[in-house]
Amino acid sequence: MEMSPQQPFITTRLDQFLKWAQESAVWPMTMGLACCAIEMMSIVSPRYDVSRFGSEVFRSSPRQSDLMIVSGRVANKMAPILRRLYEQMPDPKWVISMGACASSGGVFDNYAILPGVDSILPVDVYVPGCPPSPDALIYALMQLRREIEAGGKANVLARG
Amino acid sequence: MTIDGTEIGRIDSTAAQHMTRDDLSVFIETPDLTAAPGDERDTLVLSMGPQHPSTHGVLRVMLRLDGETVLRAEPEIGFLHTGIEKQCENLFWQQAITVVERADYLAPLLNGLCYVLAAERLLGIKDIPPRAQVLRVMFAELTRIASHLVWLGTHAMDLGAQSIFMYAFEMRERILDIMEFVTGARMHQSWFRVGGLAIDVPKGFLAKMDDFIDRFPVRLTDIRRILEKNVIIMDRLVGVGAINARDAIAWGLTGPNLRASGIGYDVRKAYPYSGYEQYDFEVCTASAGDCYARFVVRLDEMHQAWRLIKQARERFPDGPVAIADRKIIPPPKTEIQHSMEALIHHFKLVSSGFNVPEGHLYQAVESPRGELGMYVTSAGGNKPWRVRWRPPSFYSLQALKALAPGNLVADVVAIIGSLDPVFGEVDR
Amino acid sequence: MADATALRAQTAALLPKLTLTLGADFLEAVSSEDMDELALLPGGLPAAAELLRANGFAMLLDIGCTDHLPLTPRFEVSYHFLKFDLDADAPDGRMNSSARPQEAGSAFVPARLRLRVFPDDLDPHVPSLARLWPSADWAEREVWDLFGVRFDGHPDLRRILMPDDWEGHPLRKDYPLRGLDRRFAPGGRTGAVPPVVTK
Repeated sequence: MEMSPQQPFITTRLDQFLKWAQESAVWPMTMGLACCAIEMMSIVSPRYDVSRFGSEVFRSSPRQSDLMIVSGRVANKMAPILRRLYEQMPDPKWVISMGACASSGGVFDNYAILPGVDSILPVDVYVPGCPPSPDALIYALMQLRREIEAGGKANVLARG
Repeated sequence: MTIDGTEIGRIDSTAAQHMTRDDLSVFIETPDLTAAPGDERDTLVLSMGPQHPSTHGVLRVMLRLDGETVLRAEPEIGFLHTGIEKQCENLFWQQAITVVERADYLAPLLNGLCYVLAAERLLGIKDIPPRAQVLRVMFAELTRIASHLVWLGTHAMDLGAQSIFMYAFEMRERILDIMEFVTGARMHQSWFRVGGLAIDVPKGFLAKMDDFIDRFPVRLTDIRRILEKNVIIMDRLVGVGAINARDAIAWGLTGPNLRASGIGYDVRKAYPYSGYEQYDFEVCTASAGDCYARFVVRLDEMHQAWRLIKQARERFPDGPVAIADRKIIPPPKTEIQHSMEALIHHFKLVSSGFNVPEGHLYQAVESPRGELGMYVTSAGGNKPWRVRWRPPSFYSLQALKALAPGNLVADVVAIIGSLDPVFGEVDR
Repeated sequence: MADATALRAQTAALLPKLTLTLGADFLEAVSSEDMDELALLPGGLPAAAELLRANGFAMLLDIGCTDHLPLTPRFEVSYHFLKFDLDADAPDGRMNSSARPQEAGSAFVPARLRLRVFPDDLDPHVPSLARLWPSADWAEREVWDLFGVRFDGHPDLRRILMPDDWEGHPLRKDYPLRGLDRRFAPGGRTGAVPPVVTK
């Protein structure tokens, strides 16, 4: 983006502008499943305060959110529901797989838990930890912003 | 209040007093949500959840509604079933502690405590050092306060008081700071071990505890002043979801849910463990049995937990934090470098654990949600044969079938919040 | 704490009565350090439950199951009861409208009892207690779901924790820990999890 000192307007390219808009206000959807959900709630709390990074609100409705933070272990009964919610989110959308259980099944290698939520959803950022500290989750959000900046899903107009 | 007749109105305290066994059986006999034959009302079946901001986790409540009034509520669970009980059967006794903590994830140390006490009783260990006992009490009560703060923050947020969420979580962060300082982890500390504790507390611990003990009552009083006589809180909670003592017992409610209906049953007083009989604390009860009573009981409990922490701090003894039996607790690392025997003990413990004599018993602790029990069966081997949980939230949530009808949909949210379920332990 | 020995005396006094009521279904009565317990066959459960109800055991704390394979009898369905003497300690089980307790901190100590029921190995079924104690409803569904023990007379015996179309009863000892199949593609994109080998 370039700002001209004499004239009161900014010139940029459309996709850069879209990327900046998208990364600055990533609104997560409440997908708190288990213990990681509590750490996810902590990032809203005053000490970690994710709203200073643009995630002002957590939207419960998938129609109004950009980001699904899968926080917790995914049981077999929950998997189709997760998939349906992901499909209900409008584009562009991203997924952070928070914690060891969502990334790989975690401590639980058994009949009940999915070996990673990437069995059913495309994941953009994986966050290790059991549970990851809120700092780690915020770092993951920063990584996501860098990914958005690098482009890919940003320019919705570019798609046919 | 009648269900299949006419007269569906809000349940008030007087009406609930007359709920007889026959009324209760309606919820058992007709489990599906079809409308009663001959019922002319135009009703709607609504699925609330499993993704919902106010169900406190993955819960689906199928509601049959007449307008905004709930006629029937059928909770559906299993969306977080993790197979923890089966996982425990495949881990050594000491390893299973890590997995056991992930059930009730708001009070992980208490799950660990229940399991560890059961294993110690099966092993016949009676001489847990006093320092370990005091630390167990202190951290169990810290965990209780932390859990109640999450309950408070989320329940108040459901009722609309969003800033309380911020206050409560800020206070919780101070507790988690202490946890991280001592054990290295904010949640899932895995610090209680069979035979004592994993490691001793570091230098500076007592200063941090004193700081917490000074600050906490001030903040708690602030929150109580804001909430306890607040017109909106009382409007939304008084008279909602009322249950009398007889029915609470029939539904298997324990903990604050039962104490709010007037029965002063607290496992720490009834069947004490970890030296609780030496401490002076009150059992918090209320008598109305509605959401407001449960609310007030939990606020009182936070105060009692603080008193327990204060007493534990005052009697903080010196000494080891684990028993000296090398067959259960590994020797210190420095010893392993000199002593062959210590090395062999360590090797044996890490590679194949220890054997627990055959037997079975039931151990209960008072978790923030009620009586958390484990019926542990040992077949004499180095892995538990069966760890059957008695999850308090499982039984509290079942009572939703009786508590919800007659209320509005928004009240269902308040009732679920006041029962304080945690789905990690409901589904395990 | 109320007198522990007095409480144990209460339950210990009940054991001979229960033994007599059960007749041929009685297996064993034990007064262990933990609590008094009684082992019985499923046929004796309704009579034992009625007797316990009549003696004030108003709370069915928990119903669980243990699979003792390869021992026989294989399934042990465990019932834990708490005795609440409502008439003596909370006279009418009713509430009054104040939210504050009359006397703060009056502690209540219920007596405890355990029943262990051993149904048949190949076709396990046990009479349901859901109509006597509402708390039994979900607990029995869970035992059916995870162990395959049927509860006769339960109004709605279906799976509660596993998905409705799941096959098998996962907590049985002959059901493998990692399950019989992975419903969703194992390992996702990375394929890191090796496939489960079925027997």
